[in-house]
Amino acid sequence: MAELALDIGELAKRYPTGVEALRGVSLQIKQGELFGLLGPNGAGKSTLIHCTTGLAQPTGGSIHVFGHDATGNYGEARQAVGLAPQEPNLDWFLTVAETLDYHAGYFGMPKRERRERTEELLETFSLTEKRDERTRTLSGGMKRRLILARAMMHRPRLLILDEPTAGVDVELRLELWHYVQRINQEGTTILLTTHYLEEAEQLCDRIAFINGGEIVGEGTSSELSERYGVASLEDAYLALVGRKELSRSHAEVVTP
Amino acid sequence: MSAAQIRFATLWRREVNRFMKIKKQTLGAPLLETFLYIMVFGAALGSRIKHLHGIDYILFVIPGLIMMAFSTNAFANNSSSILQQKFQGAIQDQLSSPASPMELLLAFSLGGFMRGLMVAVITFCISVILVGLPVDHVLVLIPSLALVGFFFSQLGVLTGVRAEQFDDVSFVQTFVLQPLIFLGGVFYSAALLPQPFETLTRFNPIYYMINLVRYGFVGFSEVSIALSLLALTAATGALFLVNLRLFSQGYKLRA
Repeated sequence: MAELALDIGELAKRYPTGVEALRGVSLQIKQGELFGLLGPNGAGKSTLIHCTTGLAQPTGGSIHVFGHDATGNYGEARQAVGLAPQEPNLDWFLTVAETLDYHAGYFGMPKRERRERTEELLETFSLTEKRDERTRTLSGGMKRRLILARAMMHRPRLLILDEPTAGVDVELRLELWHYVQRINQEGTTILLTTHYLEEAEQLCDRIAFINGGEIVGEGTSSELSERYGVASLEDAYLALVGRKELSRSHAEVVTP
Repeated sequence: MSAAQIRFATLWRREVNRFMKIKKQTLGAPLLETFLYIMVFGAALGSRIKHLHGIDYILFVIPGLIMMAFSTNAFANNSSSILQQKFQGAIQDQLSSPASPMELLLAFSLGGFMRGLMVAVITFCISVILVGLPVDHVLVLIPSLALVGFFFSQLGVLTGVRAEQFDDVSFVQTFVLQPLIFLGGVFYSAALLPQPFETLTRFNPIYYMINLVRYGFVGFSEVSIALSLLALTAATGALFLVNLRLFSQGYKLRA
């Protein structure tokens, strides 16, 4: 069996406030997969991502990234992961180019390679003209591009995209989709969370639904629809989160 | 350079870059403040007091001002840098990197240390030129200033990590450090104070730091140098270990 890109076993996270964000989540993502994690707000998607990247500390279970224990051998595990978080978390003191350069430095990339990689990604994400601007002066779309470029800077083998297309315009969304598909075809494993079911359906090889801190369904889009006896991924999602009444398949056609 | 060396150098460079980008506030303002103190306490008050323990009043005051500049800048830099990064969420970029708790702590600490050192060195150079500030015991001065700088760097890191709002940082700065520094004998000798203030001063740890630095510059101290150095080393080491533990636990840094 090929090495798993991400192997999560019985992961639990209870915050000091007593909130149980994750209740024994198990999830396996194969190398080269484009995997979608869907769920309503507060379902535990971001907590799962934070536990994987070291931003939150699990209270139980295990996480292995390409075989490296993400808590015990965190150096190797984090080196393999690139994170584009949901909320723009850019450093206001840095310019666009510095943001990329510093990030790669945190991951130990030599200066010459950093310089070349920075130029490459500035070009790819149409940020070259903004290279010397401070990050806080960027528009929302530009920030989103920069966050994705930053996540790619150290050439991670597993790229985690936490709602990368939230609040972006149609062109940028399509650009991001193309980019994500391209790097996936080049071999990067991708874990994508999104609220856009159409996005998950089009991009992802497999999908997992998370609700209330538990994985409640997993498979390909058609497997999930079949399993729940519904016509679309959206209906499967609504069935899983207990909101079948919102299904558009049952909507009455109103004639004028 | 190894990957670990590149990582540490970048973490440290980020901290220095931050204060260098706002030099007017982080270097200009403290330098101006220090020279206003020298003007008021040295030139104006010094013309009336002349000497303290046989030392020109201005030369008595400047070592304390240098120590004060080093410590307040080291503290202010680290506390505000960490809190700002926590607010912006930008600290997640460093926290999700392979950097160890020790690397993160040292890099955050050395940012403030560098800023304090720069202000202290510039103040020292100008003091040498203007009033001929001597260096009597360089082997006491260098370790004393290094320990003072590192102690307040650690205190700044601790305050920044614990803080949840800017008020938490300014509380420590205004209501704890400022009074302790001012009442620690920067501008006067504790021997001149009436009781019980003379005795109370001896419970102020900053009093010992000022005396160490003053001894390094002008060769005068009201306290035991060896004992003070030992106590300062122990306190700095203890604070560093507390911070290292907090960083290892991810206290208020990782959810």
